[in-house]
Amino acid sequence: MASTTKKLLTNWRIILVIISLVLAAVAINPQFDTDGVAIRSIIKDSPAALSGIENPKERAAPTSLERIIAIDNQDVNSPEEYQSIISALDPNATVTIETDRGFYTIFTDPVLETEVIGEENQTVEEVVEVDQNGTMVNETVTFTKLVNITSSKVVGTADLGIRVSEVSATNLVKGLDLQGGTRVLLEPEEPLEQQDMDSLIENLKLRLNVFGLSDVIVRDAQDLDGNQFVLVEIAGANEEEVRELLAKQGKFEAQIGNQTVFRGGEDITYVCRSADCSGIDPNVGCGQSAQGFSCRFQFQISLSPEAAQRQADITSKYPLLTGDAGDSYLSEPLVLFLDNDEVDSLQIAADLRGRAVTDISISGSGAGASQELALEDTLVNMKRLQTILVTGSLPVKLNIVQTKNISPQLGDEFLNNAILLGLASILGVIVFVFIRYRKLSISLPMMFCMVSEVGLILGFAALFKWNLDLTAIAGIIIAVGTGVDDQIVITDEILEGDQGRSLSWREKIKRAFAIIMTAWGTTMVAMGPLLFAGAGLLRGFALTTMAGITFGVLITRPAFAKGVEIILNK
Amino acid sequence: MTERSAIRRIYEDHYKALMIIPFLILVLAMGQIAYQYSTTGEFLQRGVSLKGGISMTVPDAVADIASLEQHLVSVLPQGDFTVRSISSTQGVVVDASDVESAELISAVTEQLGTLSKEEYSIEQFGSSLGSSFFSQTLKAVLWAFIFMGVVVFFVFRNFGPSIGVILAAFSDIICTLAVVNLLGIKMSTAGIAAFLMLIGYSVDTDILLSTRVLKNKHGTVMSRIYSSMRTGLTMTFTTMTAVIIALVLSKSTTITEIMTILLIGLVFDIIMTYIQNVGILRLFVEKHHGKHH
Repeated sequence: MASTTKKLLTNWRIILVIISLVLAAVAINPQFDTDGVAIRSIIKDSPAALSGIENPKERAAPTSLERIIAIDNQDVNSPEEYQSIISALDPNATVTIETDRGFYTIFTDPVLETEVIGEENQTVEEVVEVDQNGTMVNETVTFTKLVNITSSKVVGTADLGIRVSEVSATNLVKGLDLQGGTRVLLEPEEPLEQQDMDSLIENLKLRLNVFGLSDVIVRDAQDLDGNQFVLVEIAGANEEEVRELLAKQGKFEAQIGNQTVFRGGEDITYVCRSADCSGIDPNVGCGQSAQGFSCRFQFQISLSPEAAQRQADITSKYPLLTGDAGDSYLSEPLVLFLDNDEVDSLQIAADLRGRAVTDISISGSGAGASQELALEDTLVNMKRLQTILVTGSLPVKLNIVQTKNISPQLGDEFLNNAILLGLASILGVIVFVFIRYRKLSISLPMMFCMVSEVGLILGFAALFKWNLDLTAIAGIIIAVGTGVDDQIVITDEILEGDQGRSLSWREKIKRAFAIIMTAWGTTMVAMGPLLFAGAGLLRGFALTTMAGITFGVLITRPAFAKGVEIILNK
Repeated sequence: MTERSAIRRIYEDHYKALMIIPFLILVLAMGQIAYQYSTTGEFLQRGVSLKGGISMTVPDAVADIASLEQHLVSVLPQGDFTVRSISSTQGVVVDASDVESAELISAVTEQLGTLSKEEYSIEQFGSSLGSSFFSQTLKAVLWAFIFMGVVVFFVFRNFGPSIGVILAAFSDIICTLAVVNLLGIKMSTAGIAAFLMLIGYSVDTDILLSTRVLKNKHGTVMSRIYSSMRTGLTMTFTTMTAVIIALVLSKSTTITEIMTILLIGLVFDIIMTYIQNVGILRLFVEKHHGKHH
């Protein structure tokens, strides 16, 4: 027994299996301490971002994410606990966050509700960069205008801006099926050169990041006919938010009387997204409408000097009209178009005519069945418009061809089910094999091989950050099922040698492997197209199957043959 | 004991007559597919992932499938619905085309009760992606066959045995497809992947059989056939064990579909390998080496 073990452990094939398994374990990096919650993303310019917490890199390994251990000395161990602690925080206060890398101090922001309580004349100073004649001046102009007096009250604490999830126990990247999220597959309306495709992808990523989603994967994909696609996967996001953002080309234009005054992108140098110059319009607020409620939003933007001058030139051509309340407006409104649909129409005040004003207020609206829903819709619309103005328009229009949305709880359920399936199948096969051969000296090595193959596939998956989804799990189960088959072929060749054949050991193994190699070849060819067909959506299945049989043929099955040889003492 | 030897006698002596069984099954299967093609214009039934539509999965629901389907048809008459359960006791999957996802969700919640976003998942498929995927994977199946044929020919260097292997794999796929059609299973992208897997698998057992019969030099043809049967059936049964366990415990339609197709294919593989392929091999051996070997 001892010498057999020694022989086993010194054989190079078996050593190879052991080394590969160790490498796989390193790649998978199993964690035993899963206290705390993992930080998946930090929203830009949020209170958390300002305190210095780093936003994790895009494809960071799951076990390398920074973890929050305690907030204000209270232990945090699940996303639910995190949410309940956060919702109880005071506004305009400091919060101490303890992570596994150190301590951070966050200043909380309040959520304000603004009410209009009156009007008054106010003397306002504005800085004008370009005057009526087109010369660049930097002068401060003083004039009075009627403004609303508002009163704001604090109604709550703004979100800190940290998106958290359960701490990952391994480096295995769970696909959408297993962790929840949204996947959208888009097809460009026109074919794109590779560099246009690259810039399209960069723009989409930027759009999603600016919107506040940073746990995103955006990549290009192709199918066998050469059609191009863009695949977007966002963990934990809501499908509705994302569809609009991705499908809109985002051509933003402001026109007066069919002449373009400014466009999204270059013409806009700054878009305000903070509470002091963006939000629900305090002058209008929310009100009832035909279908329920509607609210208006507004936010400030700054135009480039050239765009401001263009506005001055265009507005100076139009006459003024006097409105009901005695104030004067330009005869033509400023109409805002997004992707050729009108989103808003603004009156231009008389005092702006011919003046190159760089600060402009953009407004729009949202609606809903109740005031709460209307408020939500309005803020989302505002966020989208802000995002599009910041990132500019996409080079080409995209059509959504497929979407998939799974909640994280469902993902968890599928994951547990998948693990159960895997273990149960392996167990079933081991029992069957034992019944068939009735020798532990055969069944144990077979079991060791099966488990090693699963380990190697998972290690490979962790190393290359494959998305493990349900079809990939199916692939693993099948690879194990067929891996056992090859071991059965080897075993039977060996056992039947007991009937006194003239062939040498080598010959038998060679023959067994001839059969195995042919099977390997056909499966590789059959799975090959799946890597690319249909924009690679079955890639997980193809990869796990191909990896499984390849590792089997190269590493585990030869080791098995050698192992059985040693154990049966041939 | 005499029954067993009677079966053995039939198997050994009347192999030519026995071949009628697999060929008959094959003809029936081809008939089913031809019939399907002539009445619907396609030789299999495409699910929403291959023709466009919405798929809504509620894994924990316990509901009466028939009444849910009736309700959907009455509320949304323009839609084409397929409702099935995931395992025998729970889980509901609704595949629908020509309806909006919001409409579908509200119609389903009317019947199943309010569902929070955590309790269901929704997938939407554009029709053009589905059809292009379908045609691409069909081509993949074709290429897989051709490559397999080339490799087999290369290994055996003779027409006879190569035909045996290719025909067995072909029959396996066709018969599985016919049964899938008869069971009313609608194909999805995962299902096609399962078929590709099946090609590789059925070729495994046939190559094992043919290699042992042709390349081994000891014993009689029949003893070699029996020895490969022992190995081959062990292989098939172990894979079946894994597949059946996964099928029974699965909560996901993807895995259920893949495993169902594999299970059906494995059963046919036994018939095709050990009756059809064996018959062809024995004919070949007879022709080349004379009746008494």
